Amino acid sequence: MRIRLALIAALAALPLAAAAQSPYAGKTVTIVVGYKAGGGYDRTARLLARHLPKHIPGNPTIIVQNMPGANSVIAANHVYSVAKPDGLTVGTFNRNLPLAQLLKVGGVKFDMTKFAWIGSAASESTILAIRSDLPYRTLEDLKKADKTVIIGATGPGANTYDFPLLLKELLGLNLKIVSGYSSSSDIMLAIERKEVDGRAGSFSSIRSFIDRKLVHAVVRARASEPGIEQLPVDENLAPNARAKAVMALRSAPEVVGRPYVMTPGTPQAQVAMMRQAFVKAINDAELQAEAKKAKMNMEFVPGDEALKVMQEVLGQPQDVIDEFRKYVKFGE
Amino acid sequence: MIDAFYEGLLLVLQWKTLAFMSLGIVLGFWVGLLPGLGGATTLALMLPFIYTMQPVQAFAFLLGMHAVVATTGDITSVLFGVPGEGTSAATILDGHAMAKKGEAGRALGAALTSSLVGAIVGAFALALAVPVVRPVVLTFGSPELFMLAIVGLAFIASLSSQGGRGMLRGFLAGGLGLLCATVGQDPQAGVARFTFDALYLWQGLELVPVLVGIFAIPEIVGLVVRRTSIAGAVPAGKLNQGAWEGVKDTFRHFWLTIRCSLIGTFIGIMPGMGGAIAQWMAYGHATQSARNAEERKGFGAGDVRGVLGPGAANNSKEGGALIPTVAFGVPGSSAMAILLGGFFLLGLVPGPDMLTTHLSVTFSMVWTIVLANIITVLVCFAFLNKLAKLTAVRGALLIPVILVLVFIGSYTATNHYGDILVMLLFGGIGYLMVLGGWPRAPFVLGLVLGKIAENYLYISIARYEAAWLTRPVVLVLMALTLGVVLYPLYQSRRAGVKKAAHA
Repeated sequence: MRIRLALIAALAALPLAAAAQSPYAGKTVTIVVGYKAGGGYDRTARLLARHLPKHIPGNPTIIVQNMPGANSVIAANHVYSVAKPDGLTVGTFNRNLPLAQLLKVGGVKFDMTKFAWIGSAASESTILAIRSDLPYRTLEDLKKADKTVIIGATGPGANTYDFPLLLKELLGLNLKIVSGYSSSSDIMLAIERKEVDGRAGSFSSIRSFIDRKLVHAVVRARASEPGIEQLPVDENLAPNARAKAVMALRSAPEVVGRPYVMTPGTPQAQVAMMRQAFVKAINDAELQAEAKKAKMNMEFVPGDEALKVMQEVLGQPQDVIDEFRKYVKFGE
Repeated sequence: MIDAFYEGLLLVLQWKTLAFMSLGIVLGFWVGLLPGLGGATTLALMLPFIYTMQPVQAFAFLLGMHAVVATTGDITSVLFGVPGEGTSAATILDGHAMAKKGEAGRALGAALTSSLVGAIVGAFALALAVPVVRPVVLTFGSPELFMLAIVGLAFIASLSSQGGRGMLRGFLAGGLGLLCATVGQDPQAGVARFTFDALYLWQGLELVPVLVGIFAIPEIVGLVVRRTSIAGAVPAGKLNQGAWEGVKDTFRHFWLTIRCSLIGTFIGIMPGMGGAIAQWMAYGHATQSARNAEERKGFGAGDVRGVLGPGAANNSKEGGALIPTVAFGVPGSSAMAILLGGFFLLGLVPGPDMLTTHLSVTFSMVWTIVLANIITVLVCFAFLNKLAKLTAVRGALLIPVILVLVFIGSYTATNHYGDILVMLLFGGIGYLMVLGGWPRAPFVLGLVLGKIAENYLYISIARYEAAWLTRPVVLVLMALTLGVVLYPLYQSRRAGVKKAAHA
């Protein structure tokens, strides 16, 4: 009897002992989101916060903290230099932050290549969608359009604005961009009342309207997702190398659509644990089922690949940067 | 149609659905009372819990919570002058003034009953509007929405005190509000305006810290200076009654309540107008009901009509805001944007189908709003008069509590110390405005309408050039603007004529 008790006690203590070794046992990990609650970045973070703990040794509690402002520059500054490198802070920000750093936007106090990269939870592809009742079925039709096609947008720095702007300026499409709509769904309504002829935006935000046959996609940027692989890619149509470089630069961060990083200096072991957990959580059938229900496409991009994208963006020659600056401003 | 209306009610009346709704109501009740902890944030937090629910249950839970937030937000507005939500600030002007006169119970009774009437009217207006709602919403393009913002701004004429000097001050305060609305990165050229190199200001001024500062701080300073309780000289025994009086007030001014409910529903239906606007337009309309200059002066000093108007609009707009979300998949507010996320989780596709094949689900949402309001109002009445007694508590004891609400409420806007600074700055401005006799309502109207007016004007011109000026609805709205601006003049002229006739 006594032996059995001792055995049970020892067995019970085993996982405890393993967990006690983990730097995460009994701890709380905070995911800092650079936007308010309810948006795409926030929803992704909250989904992960629910599924990550069981894949991290020591099963820490994970909470989400919203730190909105300045298109998430504030949150990135915080995770970069205010948070302790103890592995308990994870940040997820605007995917365009490397562009903010490239364009030397005031207030940027971080270096995207120095974060401890976990990776990206999804890639976000930008597409241009045109109203289905218009005669422009493909990009070729759009190129031949003799009437100006009106594109609704939120504002400079957002993919609703920058993507069609480059199509217009570099590929010579006959577009007119009307910006100032308060959200991408507001533009959708403008499409519905035929105030504008189309809009650009992330595939995930337009997909349900494509399903409803209100609009259809005609061209996409580099990052792809199931369902839009066949679309022509903007940078492949560029008339010259510099135009191609500018378009490539705009879309490069989209491969790292939902970036996740830790404070620079976080111990390697913890970063590795977190990467492992992300891989497992995102491939978890339960998480995938929930993501599918929420119409979110979750796909892990490893940290070193994400870092490579950052280096590609930030290592551009000066003439490309100067050209890029003519068209693109940092925002959203 | 009528079948679906009825069926929607039956869907909500199932016990499980009712249970989830009650749970939502309890949550929403507290969220509404606590300033700053907004309905939208709470919805986002609750979203994961709906995975396992049936659509009707999930919406009963989420909407039950959301509907109540708007109702109970009025309670802190009336009692302490602290807006419980960004959308319940207009109730402060007369509601808190009534509390200071020792009529907190009556003000609360009026706010809650008008909320209830608003929710019901909103629901029925929607039910009637379902067949025409798509064309109506689609008629309102950017030019029309711009003109609607202008109509809203025209209400400054009603919100200012009468006479040339009062009007001048009103429009100047409105101008200041418009100016404050330009802070942040502009959406046409991407230029940072008035951000003073502060990252915090990139996204513009947050509404909640500004509202909390401009309304609550002057009240707190006043309470400190008076060295009494909120209700001052009124004996505590008298505070124990009055809620019933507020109910009667609602029916005394029944048509005003109905009209303000309809204003709320209409603004709610318009996507992109935002929740804060409905109640201010309703308040503006309520002030128009003053029959003479004497009565007009009573507004802001505790006229119950100033509570009824915003109270009614505040809740009727919730039903209205469902429409663009449900029928177009285009959310009318941030809370609705989160609700939209709920749609996908439940496998429903918002769009025209929701007005035809899934109409009963849509109506079940409307019914949820109605039932949640009825339940809340009934529960609240049990202790309204007790709540009103809080206004008899000595200021020195109350102020620390109110200050905590004020600071936390502001800080939860973006969790940045900038929220506190903005609140204090606008608190100072608000105090000076009160001292100098400048009206605060026009300022708020300018602030909430500024961005909408600017962006839709830009889009209208970029898209249609000058042609937008001749669109029929634009012309009608222009006439309406003129009417709203000239009505106070007409009123004072008529009053003058009457006086002359008597003399």
